[in-house]
Amino acid sequence: MVRKNKKLKTNLIKALSHTDAQTVSFAIWAVALPFVAFAVNLLLLFRSRIAALVSTAAILASLILAVKVFFAVWNAPVIHAQTVWFTVGTAKVPLGILLNNLSALMLLLVPVIALPVHIYSIAYMKDDNGYSRYFRYLSLFCFSMLGLVVVDNLVLLYAFWELVGFSSYLLIGFWFTRQSAVLANKKAFIMNRIGDIGLLTAIVILFTQYGTFDISALFGADGLVPLSTMAAGMWAGPHSAMPEVWQYVAFGGIFLAVAAKSAQFPLHTWLPDAMEGPTSVSALIHAATMVAAGVFLLGRVYPLFNATELTILAVVGCFTAFMAATIALTQNDLKRILAYSTISQLGFMVLAMGVGAYASSLFHLVTHAFFKCLLFLVAGIVIHQMKHIKEDNNLDIDPQNILHMGGLRKKLPLTFIITLIGALALIGLPLTSGYLSKDGILIQAFVWAESKGAVFSIIPYVALLTSWLTAFYVARLVVKVFFGDFRLQKVNPHIHIHIGDGNWLYKAPLLLLAACSLFPLFSKSPVFYEDAWIYKSFLPSNFLARENIYHTIVPVLVNILAVVVIYAAFAIYGRRNSWSFPQRGLLYRLSYNEWYIDRFYNPVVVKAVLLFSRLLYAFDRKVVDGLVDSLAGAGIALSKITDWFDRYIVDGFLHLVTSVVQTIGNFARRFQSGKVQYYLYSMLLVVAVVFIFKLIWT
Amino acid sequence: MNLLSLLIFTPVLFGIIILILPSSMRASYKYLTLAATLVQLVISIAIYLHFKTGPGFAGINHEDQFQLVQKLPWINLDLGSAGKLQIDYFVGIDGISVTILVMSALVMVVAAISSWEISSNLKGFFALFLLLDMAVMGVFCALDFFLFYTFYELMLLPLYFLIGMWGGARREYAAIKFFLYTLFGSVFMLLVMVGLYLSVTDPATGNHTFNIIQMMNPKNYAAGSVFSTLSHTTILGMPARMVGFVVLFIAFAIKVPVVPLHTWLPDAHVEAPTPVSIILAGVLLKIGGYGIIRICMGIFPDAALSSAFWLGLLGVISILYGAFNALAQRDLKRLIAYSSVSHMGFVLLGIASATAEGISGAMMQMVSHGFLSAMLFFLVGVVYGRVHDRDIYHFRGLASLMPRYTVYVMIAFFASLGLPGFSAFVAEAFSLAGAFKSSSANGLLPQWMAVCGAVGILLGAAYLLWTLQRMFFGTTSLKGGEIWKIALIDIGLRETLALLPLALMALALGLMPSLVFGKVNDAVLALVSFLQVK
Repeated sequence: MVRKNKKLKTNLIKALSHTDAQTVSFAIWAVALPFVAFAVNLLLLFRSRIAALVSTAAILASLILAVKVFFAVWNAPVIHAQTVWFTVGTAKVPLGILLNNLSALMLLLVPVIALPVHIYSIAYMKDDNGYSRYFRYLSLFCFSMLGLVVVDNLVLLYAFWELVGFSSYLLIGFWFTRQSAVLANKKAFIMNRIGDIGLLTAIVILFTQYGTFDISALFGADGLVPLSTMAAGMWAGPHSAMPEVWQYVAFGGIFLAVAAKSAQFPLHTWLPDAMEGPTSVSALIHAATMVAAGVFLLGRVYPLFNATELTILAVVGCFTAFMAATIALTQNDLKRILAYSTISQLGFMVLAMGVGAYASSLFHLVTHAFFKCLLFLVAGIVIHQMKHIKEDNNLDIDPQNILHMGGLRKKLPLTFIITLIGALALIGLPLTSGYLSKDGILIQAFVWAESKGAVFSIIPYVALLTSWLTAFYVARLVVKVFFGDFRLQKVNPHIHIHIGDGNWLYKAPLLLLAACSLFPLFSKSPVFYEDAWIYKSFLPSNFLARENIYHTIVPVLVNILAVVVIYAAFAIYGRRNSWSFPQRGLLYRLSYNEWYIDRFYNPVVVKAVLLFSRLLYAFDRKVVDGLVDSLAGAGIALSKITDWFDRYIVDGFLHLVTSVVQTIGNFARRFQSGKVQYYLYSMLLVVAVVFIFKLIWT
Repeated sequence: MNLLSLLIFTPVLFGIIILILPSSMRASYKYLTLAATLVQLVISIAIYLHFKTGPGFAGINHEDQFQLVQKLPWINLDLGSAGKLQIDYFVGIDGISVTILVMSALVMVVAAISSWEISSNLKGFFALFLLLDMAVMGVFCALDFFLFYTFYELMLLPLYFLIGMWGGARREYAAIKFFLYTLFGSVFMLLVMVGLYLSVTDPATGNHTFNIIQMMNPKNYAAGSVFSTLSHTTILGMPARMVGFVVLFIAFAIKVPVVPLHTWLPDAHVEAPTPVSIILAGVLLKIGGYGIIRICMGIFPDAALSSAFWLGLLGVISILYGAFNALAQRDLKRLIAYSSVSHMGFVLLGIASATAEGISGAMMQMVSHGFLSAMLFFLVGVVYGRVHDRDIYHFRGLASLMPRYTVYVMIAFFASLGLPGFSAFVAEAFSLAGAFKSSSANGLLPQWMAVCGAVGILLGAAYLLWTLQRMFFGTTSLKGGEIWKIALIDIGLRETLALLPLALMALALGLMPSLVFGKVNDAVLALVSFLQVK
């Protein structure tokens, strides 16, 4: 891979100016360095603890290079460099990178998030047997993710798309002796595979229609896809045409890919299970970066979609956001709540893509990456401390269950404050980054619905409701973990507790991410999302000025009610002996059982497939092979028949002939006995017979 | 000395040495066999490196574009008024054969290494092994149909004995099933071959000929002969050329194997000893795909195009049927055997598309599957050799017990299920791309076939990952208890030496697909335009 990159570099750079060439080589090294770390860790540092330093150094170097690339590319002309990877028939498959605003931003985001996670992991994983293996996998993931965001063609995109899935598989199943972990990673990979074959199908369709895999040739400003038309049932590109249905199939494929990777309904159920991986992994992969790849893909192929397809995206995104938020209300596993919250936020991003809020969607992707990663790292600390308590006191508890926690703000003061920042950002209250990005989505959803007609206004209202649900479950989480009394101590008054925020390896990443969860990084103004630099740089041509009433009403409404909801959550969960929700009822069960979706998938879909496969195997053995065996049997039967025929008919006839001859011979033999009397008798008999014949005849 | 002839007959030389050596030196047999395969590997790499590319070396239907050609008169009989019987020893290669030759040579080395486990009747085993080796190489090089057929039939004999004598419990059943199945196909192939011989005349000599390349030129068919494109002879109501195509296709489809002609394969694999399984899956199945490209499509392009839909359909059925059956298995070796059926379905689908992408993908899939199936069967052999059991449910948590082994299993599994970076991904992606493109490029296959084929990729992930989860992950628990735990030692140096080259090749082809595509591209383009001309 490294050699490949070097070769690529020498071939690529000829056509570019000096500065562009430098930017390209920076980008290539930013991608390649984590791979170098992976290779070094694999080949040289197989069991060494230095592996952590190698990986961290690599991601730090990647970050520095990515920063340079970012400033060279941001709001500058697109840099595109490629060489031929291989040729199939007449089609050339390129190997190259495409640096525009989207890829430069993602190229920066990944190491910015990954670096604190690496540092955190050094402390978090220090007692694990698989310490060096962990960093090996982590570097492989970073390489795949960085590769995914910069490649310039669909074949490589697919390759890295699957590689991130593969490294996620490795990390979810990191503790491979744990049954739940290996079930979870299998599920994650197979569900992602559904998306992968969708993506593959879409790529194949696009390749057939346009004869190229090149992303900028396909989706660029004057690319092939925007030039296509759909008319009279035909989908016509500049060179060829095919029935319209295949355009929808291509969209369906892309949608499956997005739904699988970004955990959208109906392919979202792997993500909560993926929390079986180490929490630091959940923070990096299953909250901030990989799961955002689906949204990134939408951004890459955005010109493909027509109005109907965008509406489908909006509906699915909105539904996913709502459903996941309702599930998060009743879960008790700390990581599972965060996982559902991730699904919900990803739903917001897909919704934003669907309503045409392209810029807001990517903006939310970035802000969400910071505060969700932050929340997961905090969860890791809490879980780690609970585990300590569990091991110190030999308790049989689930360290992730929030029902055991409570009052931790006094024991983990810094963690508590950091959590508050993350939580407020997730809810989207002013002064945080989440406010800027999420309100942008809501406002544009309202504007979109107004232009579409009455039925569609349900979407922004559901999204609005979802953001209040978000406020509620986040408040519930914070209250249950950090406020009130420590419930474990209440039940077991004698347990020893000596826990704390941890050393700087824990604190530094948290502080960094917390700083990035506040507004100043993104916008001069804490209130108006339109001022955010990321938003402005992604603006599509149909820019919406603040002319619209929603721009004022929505944020005010959202935030006032959110504050009310938070207060309600405090009131319900914060006080001792307080009233609580009834833990019965249809809605409660629906939410607690995660809408019964997995309860449907496991027995119905999985069992049906297995049953079908067994039936087919029985068919194979009994019918197909049975036919072969019965042919053989027929052959043997036929040979038995011919054997019988041969023995009794052919040979029997011969035996008959011989026995006839023999009988006649034996009979005639008696005439030759040599006794004269017999001869006389027979002569007399013959004469008599002749005589009688003669009489009758005449 | 022609390199190809050297490649073909090197094993015979070593085989004779083994036959001459007394049994007291039987320990050396395996080293001699390994040496033979290594020599072959070196020769094949030399051939690969010297193989010239460019439109002038495309091959297919141009005799002068083949490389390393050797043509010697072999059987020449003057039949008086019936003309002259002309059979040549005619070998040569083009892009279609060269990559498969290298792949076969490497798989043979691995098979030789895995023959260490054979303990009985060594002289017989290794002599037959080398005879098989020769026949396989001969098949890929022969350009005279009679010679091809000779090599083709010559493979059956050693295989029958290798399975029937060194196999598992039901070895006799499996051996005879395999033998009769294949013979069933090749007997009818003989008839078509004779029919072709009688139809085709060599323009240079005016004699009838078995030359495969001359059979591709419609001008060489005598007017009114049975397989002439102009005569409208029918056999049982079907055009004669279609009958000829179907008969040849069935013969090769049994080899591939194509559903529903596949049932010999799971039995043969399950009963065969590991080295024979490796050769079976790695090399012999490719003869089916190779034969379809070289013989069926080369000689009967018109019939091939008009039955492309059915070929594609059989390909899709094989992909899905094989995958579903693999999902239902609890015998690891049988699971891999069915996965072979599924993966070889991509070959047929790619070929049926008659597009450059599809045929290139099919070629890649053959090479890739050669390496990966050899690896998979070797890996099964590792566990079976240690505890004589391979029921998936009898093992759990092998990863903790045999970490290095598990790494290779994961490489083989993920490579097989089409993880990018490994060869199978490129192969399957382009087989599907070709199949999809076919409808707008030449209208042979409907688009849904490619979409259905893609589902096979999903199922591949399902059965392989499920196996990983059941056998390798989780806490260790074995049916054989402590005895198994002691027996299941991690893989050693010899096993690593067999597995590592295969893994590296799969990786190399995945990262640099041009290793294969670069060599086959001219031939594929020539084949596609050859098919279109008709």
